[in-house]
Parts: sequence; structure tokens; C-alpha cells
Amino acid sequence: MGRGGSRAAPAAAMPPWHALPDEVWEHAFSFLPAASDRGAAAGACRSWLRAERRSRRRLSVANCYAASPQDAVERFPAVRAAEVKGKPHFADFGLVPPAWGAAAAPWVAAAADGWPLLEELSFKRMVVTDECLEMIAASFRNFQVLRLVSCEGFSTAGLAAIAAGCRNLRELDLQENEIEDCSIHWLSLFPESFTSLVTLNFSCLEGDVNINVLERLVTRCRNLKTLKLNNSIPLDKLASLLHKAPQIVELGTGRFSADYHPNLFEKLEAAFAGDGLAVSVSHLHKFHLNIETVNFQVMDLIEDHGLAVVASSCNKLQELRVFPSDPFDAAGQVSLTERGLVDVSASCPMLESVLYFCRRMTNEALIAIAKNRPNFTCFRLCIIEPHTPDYITHQPLDAGFSAIVESCKGLTRLSVSGLLTDHVFKSIGAHADRLEMLSIAFAGNSDLGLHYILSGCKSLKKLEIRDCPFGDKPLLANAAKLETMRSLWMSSCSLTLGACRQLARKMPRLSVEVMNDPERACPLDSLADETLIDKLYVYRTIAGPRSDTPACVQIV
Amino acid sequence: MSGSDLLAVIKPEALKAYIWLECSDGSIQQVEEEVAMFCPMICREIMKNGAGSSKSHAIVLPERVNPASLSLVLDYCRFHQVPGRSNKERKLFDEKFVRMDYDKLCKLASAALSLQLRPLVDLTCGSLARIIGGKSPEEVRDIFHLPDDLTEEEKLEPLENFNDDPTIRLLNRLYAKKRKELQERQRLKDVQVQEEQKDERSLDEILCFINGNGGSGGEKAAKNKKRNKKRKDNAKNSAKANPGPVNKEGASCGVPNKADSDNISRLPCQSQKLQDDIEFPFEDCYSDDGLDPAMREELDRS
Repeated sequence: MGRGGSRAAPAAAMPPWHALPDEVWEHAFSFLPAASDRGAAAGACRSWLRAERRSRRRLSVANCYAASPQDAVERFPAVRAAEVKGKPHFADFGLVPPAWGAAAAPWVAAAADGWPLLEELSFKRMVVTDECLEMIAASFRNFQVLRLVSCEGFSTAGLAAIAAGCRNLRELDLQENEIEDCSIHWLSLFPESFTSLVTLNFSCLEGDVNINVLERLVTRCRNLKTLKLNNSIPLDKLASLLHKAPQIVELGTGRFSADYHPNLFEKLEAAFAGDGLAVSVSHLHKFHLNIETVNFQVMDLIEDHGLAVVASSCNKLQELRVFPSDPFDAAGQVSLTERGLVDVSASCPMLESVLYFCRRMTNEALIAIAKNRPNFTCFRLCIIEPHTPDYITHQPLDAGFSAIVESCKGLTRLSVSGLLTDHVFKSIGAHADRLEMLSIAFAGNSDLGLHYILSGCKSLKKLEIRDCPFGDKPLLANAAKLETMRSLWMSSCSLTLGACRQLARKMPRLSVEVMNDPERACPLDSLADETLIDKLYVYRTIAGPRSDTPACVQIV
Repeated sequence: MSGSDLLAVIKPEALKAYIWLECSDGSIQQVEEEVAMFCPMICREIMKNGAGSSKSHAIVLPERVNPASLSLVLDYCRFHQVPGRSNKERKLFDEKFVRMDYDKLCKLASAALSLQLRPLVDLTCGSLARIIGGKSPEEVRDIFHLPDDLTEEEKLEPLENFNDDPTIRLLNRLYAKKRKELQERQRLKDVQVQEEQKDERSLDEILCFINGNGGSGGEKAAKNKKRNKKRKDNAKNSAKANPGPVNKEGASCGVPNKADSDNISRLPCQSQKLQDDIEFPFEDCYSDDGLDPAMREELDRS
């Protein structure tokens, strides 16, 4: 830019306005509100694709086999936060064979190479080793957030590496992982100069943690706002911990039994002094509930009357999860029924997400719930005993679940249970336009059920099915649909190997994995088309077939 | 008339400075200096290189600044460089200002970017984002007349974007509220302590004066500090002195995997009892509202 007189050259033609510099679009994309907006923008045209990829900061790899780690790093060079998910959801119920895959190591290696400025890493249902954790601690100088959910393969030695090496760590969030206890006092490896922690969650850790070390850590980390402890911290110590860190707004205790000592709770209540406390025990009604409670997880020991208390006091409740204390107790000692859910849905106007395990349900209750809460985005009802009908009318629960999908226009996740015929799937296929994830178990009566789902459900991304009488025909008829979805899981249905072969031939961009009984591992090629397969996992991928399958998993 | 009289007759407006700017198409225009200076890039040219003072020494603007865009940029600068305006006024102006067709908006965004006028870049790009948001690729292509030039493979992108967890925002809000309250209480407590000190000191001083001693105020102040610290420590110790019954049964539980922690969330604390035990926890690097810059940015965004 210098001084100068007027230009001698004729006025340059302005570039066509859609070929603006990438910078403008990159900057505009940074203002996009919804997570999916960036993907849509990237799909518009080549120059936007380039601009969007270059500037994307947060990457979600919902299926670790959908693309290779190198590919991801190359295409999105500016990523600062990445989340990678591995095993199918039904792995939580033991349906995925051991050593199936989902190793985090290739992702950590690629990230160390291509994303040196990475700040956040999150793994879900993946195998994370101590070496992975050591590499994370050593490779990213501004690493801040580590979140591991339902992972396995690492020990407290790995945690020690993180504690010692990540100088700017803000969040260490361990949820429901299987962590081997190496008796290494990893917590004491946070240096005395380390003060940046904002979230600490080690609730899933089985082993002991030194309470003094914890107290010192909590005292010096002035920004700590979320603290979730495990069983090794006795409840009476909670009060003193809170005194040391009064700014904490979210506290989780380890699991504790219903045999509590009454004075203990009074003391806890005093520590919170006037804030109220949401405590998950059966004697809930004795305590002053926090009206600010937004997420509430509890055992079914709370029973209907406890939920009634929740309903009347927590009017800001957004998410409710009620788990079975004893899933195999057929006698049903616990008095948790459809009543509890109806009450909560009636009184909590902001309730949008529910996970509810119970033993009985009626269509009438479901219809009432649907009417009360059309704003559900996630509705997962798990009636423990398969094929359970409406306990009053003995009818299938088709009408109830139909009411849910018809009323809740914004429903994105649904789990159905109880006695269900193909009819309910017709409703779901027709009405659940925004549904992204559907879980079906022990339901339906013919191929039609699956066909309704695959030919409807415009936004479907994940479908998981077990123990349903669905066969080859609807799968092959709707093969193209599978390419628009993230993944499909079908186990203990009526699928043949021949159909899988056909599917794989027809759809080269899908990976078709067949899993059989590990005892029966024989090469697929030798089996006939008519052979029934036990488990099918199909997912779209741009990476081609993976090479890390165990013997019982074969790619067709 | 003397020279000074002449000067007195000339109206002040005539003495306003003007800057000369040249667009990419060669056209040159004049604009009030104070308006042009609002643009960092132009400001730098004037200050560093002394450019723009005459027609022959006009500041050459970047290629993407055409006369129409420049005119809009200057309108924007002319309004915002006036210091007295309220935030509400500015916001209203901005909202009206960006109402233009997409063509103009895109060019304006581009011009603002080359001129490094950040607030205008944010305004125009934010506006573009609002148009793009919530639409499918087809719809976007239609609105912006973009070519459909992606291959099937490229359209099949399995890697997605993800935003921050929304519950984080709620936690941040609760947290900010909590810190403010704790800070406020500490401040009140400090004031209370100071006032007490002052009172005592003046009494002593009076006594000393009456008794004819030298000022021993300092000593007294030190003693008072110690006394307060002791009070704090006593409160802390009393909390520890009643540990309460230990929950021996706490360890046992018969609970399946899914719910491994019970969440307790709470509101900012109202208790008087609690703050006696607080040591002043907040470091100097935080601003008045007790938030560090990263936290404040997050809250601003939500």
C-alpha cells in the first residue's frame, strides 16, 4: 500500500460475488448457530467446502471407522476439539464381541501429528491404552479437556501421565469407564503449581483416592465448579470439601446405599445451607429438593411417591433417568410404575429427556404423557420384561408409542419396549420426522415392521434392533437408505448371509460386518447363503474395510 | 484587518480535515478525517505513511473495496464514530444497516474485511450466517447462486461438527452467579473489618491524645488484624470439631453399572455460617465480576 496517484490501468472487473475470499465465508461460518449448519454449508459448493473445512474447530467422528484418522486430520487442519466414538451402543449390553475393535491409538497418533494445538479430546466406547494417555500428555502443549466415556484399556498409570503432563488441564471427565487400579496415586501427580482444574469427575474409579491430596487439589483450584467423586470419599468428608471450595456448583457423590445415617444428611444439608440438595435415595421426601435441579438420575427405589415429590418441587427439570436397582427381580418389590412418569411429565414443563426403566405400562399412561409433554426430544422407555402388554387392557402398546411420536414433533431419540406389533412401526415411520436414533428390542411381527422404519423416518441416523422377526427383504429393499444413515445394528433377527453378501455388493460405500459365535469362527466364504447370521453391523464409510477385526467378525 | 482577525472570521467547519481515498476502480473521493480514522487500516496509513492528505496522495484502498461498498463503510463509520451514542441506538442502527440484498452484503463483508474494520465484519458476517443457518445445501445454493460443483463423494461427508454441551452454559451461569455472591460477601466483610478498625483506632488516638502519648494506631491495626484472623480460624476449627458420625455403611451398595454417581446440583449459597470459613479465594488477575477472560467470553457467547 503506498502513496500514488490514480491508476493508469482501466478499472479491474470485480470478481463474481460468490467467489469471495475464503476468509469472508470462514468468518460467517463461525457465527452459525446449530451444529449441523456447518455441514450443510460445506455441502453447498466447492469453495464453501474448502472454506468450511479449513476453519472448522470442532470435529465429531460419530463412528471411528467412517473415515481414517489421517483423512480427518488432513481435511480439517484447524481442529481444536475432537470427539471420537467407537463401538455400537449395544456394546453396553454385552452384545458386541470382546476385542471387536475401536482402538483409540490410531486417532491419538494422527492427532499428535496433525493437530499439535489440539485442546480437547473425547472418546466414547473405545479402547484407550495407557500409551494413548501418555502420548496425549506429551503431544499437545495446550491440552485442556479429556473426556472418556464407557472406555476401557487403561489404568491409573495412564491417569498419572495426564496429571503430571497436562499443565493447562481444565477438565478430566471419566464416565463409566473400566479403569484398572495400579495403586498409583495419580491424583498426587498434579503438581503443586497446578491450579487450572474446572471439572474433575472420577466417579467410576474403583480404587481409593487420598482425601488429603484431594483436599489440597480442590483448595488450590479456585475455578473448580464440578466435582464428582467416587466411593472412596466418605460422605462426612463432603462437607469439609465444600468448605474448601464454596464455588462448586455441581457435586456428585459415589454410589451409596439406602442405609444411610440420618445425621449425615442433615450435615450435608447444612453444608449446602439453603441451596437444597437432590439426593438419590429412597427416603427422598424427607429432603428439601433443589428447585434448580436440571438433570436427575436415580434408582427406581425412589418409587412413584418419590417421583411425585420430584414432580412438585423441580419445575426446571429437563432430564430424568430412573434405573432399575435389581433388573432380575421378577417379583417387582419396588413400587415404581407408570404413575411416576405421568406425574413428572405433567408437572415439569421443561422436561425433554427421559430414560425410564419400569415393569408395567399402559397405553392410557403413554397417551397422557404424550399430551403433557409434546416437547420431548428423547424418550426411552424400557419395560424390563420383553413382550409386556398394557397391564390393564392386555393390548400391545402400539397406541401409546404412536401417541408419543405423533405428539412429540421434535423427538430425536426413541427406545420402545413392551408388546408391540408392526402397527407401531407404521406410526413411527410416518410421524417421527426428526427421529435420529431408534432402539427396538423384542418387537414387531413381520418384515413389514422394518420396512416401515427404513422407508420412513426421514432423519434416521442410527438404528439398533435385537430379537425381532425382521428378515432379508426389507433390508435389501431399502439398501439406499442405509447410505444416508450412520449405522444399523441387527442381532438375533432373521437375516441370512446371502442377503448380507447382496447388500455388500450393491452398496460399495457401506461396510457390512457379520459377527457370529466366537466358538464357531469359520471363514465366511465356506458358508452357504442360507446360513442365518447372528449379528449384523452396517455403517457407511469412506475409509474402506477395516483391518483390525477379530476372528469372529468378518467383513462381507 | 490583521491576520488574526481574518482567522477569527473563518468558521470552524472550514478547518475540518479531509482525507482522500482511492478505490480499486481508480475513482477518488474525499471524506472527513474523523470518519475515515474509524477504519484501522486507513488510520494506520495516515499515521504511519502520512498518506491521504491530498488528491494526488490519496490512500489506495484494497482491491475488494469498490465505491458502493466504500460508501456503505463510510456511512457505518460516520454513525459509530460519534462518541455519545447509547448501545441501544447503535444496535438499532446496525439492524437497519444490514438490511440489503445478498450481493451488496457479501461485497460489504469483503470490503470490511480488507479494511480490517472488525465490528462491521462481525455485523455483516453474522448477518450472512443468519441467512445460511437452518437451510439445506440446495436452499443455500439457490439463495447465493452457488455452482453445484461437488462430487458425490464429497457430498457424502461422514465427519460432523459439534457444538459445546448446552448444560455447560447453565453451569457457567450458576458458577458466575456464585462467584459474584462470594466476592460480594467477602467485600462486605472487608469493609466491616475496616470500619471496625477505623473506629477503634480513632478511639485509641483520642485516648492517646488525651493521655499525651504518640500515635499508636499502627500497632492497634495490626492487633485487630490478628484478632480477625483468629476469629476466622476459630470458625474453621469449630466446623472441624464436629465431624459427625462416620457413615460406615457408605461403601456397600447394590447398584448396577448405569448410575454410578448421584448428582447434586445447587444454587448459590445463602448461608452466613459458610462464609466465615472462606479465605479470600480470588486472584487479582480477574476483573470486577470475578470472571477470568475465557469464562467471560463463554458467558458472553451464551
